[in-house]
Amino acid sequence: MEDKITSEKESLEIISKMIQSSKNNIQVGRGNFFLYYGYFTAILSVIIYTLVVLTQNDMWSWGWMLMFVFQFLVSYKRRQNKPTVVTYTDKVIKQIWMVFGFMFSLTFIIIAILGEIYGHYKLSLMMPLSLLYCGLGISIHGIIIRERWMIFSPLVAFIVAFYMLMMLAINQPVRIEWYLYLGFSFVVMQIIPGHILNRKAKRQC
Amino acid sequence: MLKELDPLLHSQLRLAIVSILMSVDEADFVYLREKTNSTAGNLSVQIDKLTTAGYIEANRILEGKKTRTLCKMTDIGRKAFEEYIEALKSYLVIKK
Repeated sequence: MEDKITSEKESLEIISKMIQSSKNNIQVGRGNFFLYYGYFTAILSVIIYTLVVLTQNDMWSWGWMLMFVFQFLVSYKRRQNKPTVVTYTDKVIKQIWMVFGFMFSLTFIIIAILGEIYGHYKLSLMMPLSLLYCGLGISIHGIIIRERWMIFSPLVAFIVAFYMLMMLAINQPVRIEWYLYLGFSFVVMQIIPGHILNRKAKRQC
Repeated sequence: MLKELDPLLHSQLRLAIVSILMSVDEADFVYLREKTNSTAGNLSVQIDKLTTAGYIEANRILEGKKTRTLCKMTDIGRKAFEEYIEALKSYLVIKK
């Protein structure tokens, strides 16, 4: 690129060309975030379900704590591979996920504190609430990037979450199949959109 | 009367850098080099000029063994860019 501008029209051309090129910042692998969480949660739900059924020991449900370990590992990896450009959209999306991540941790802390006070840990609440937080996050993310499947796919998670909350509200016991419902919801709202996003990005780049 | 075009922005590469930074939150040196199709040396010189004028902020951060330069518009730079666009408009209206 030369240093001299020959006309005002050229200035406008440079401005519009540069804004256009940075606007179409579609990166290959942008669906990976969903794929990591989606596959991990779906596989973990099947493993925990199988272990609880085989051993008849509910202690395996503590395996869900691995989600926190996984979250830490994913955040660490993302910090290592910082993108070359951060658009305003990326920034907003990151902040939205930070809010939902915070709500997830806060829910866990409050359940733990109340458990300590009343001697009864209602960890089963984490399942419907995780589905709601995650579903809302994906839906909002989908609205921002205008990805139809992401906007509507969390509907499955919302239905499952409301079903679980209703069952808990009427004092019904937590059913072991709920783990599988949770895994299935993550397949629909994270794995499928993740692959769709990656395929679209590959086609456009 | 025609407004004077900011000489700092009235250069192909500097205008390209600022236009990109106006449309994103922050961009690193490699991204700017790819988008502007410029050489590392030239880009570095122009970034320095824009930084000295206070139009952009360039932060050098260490990532492992590598150094990355992250660039971002400042409020002064945004104002200068908006004024540049206004001045451009007046030139284009007269030429019509």
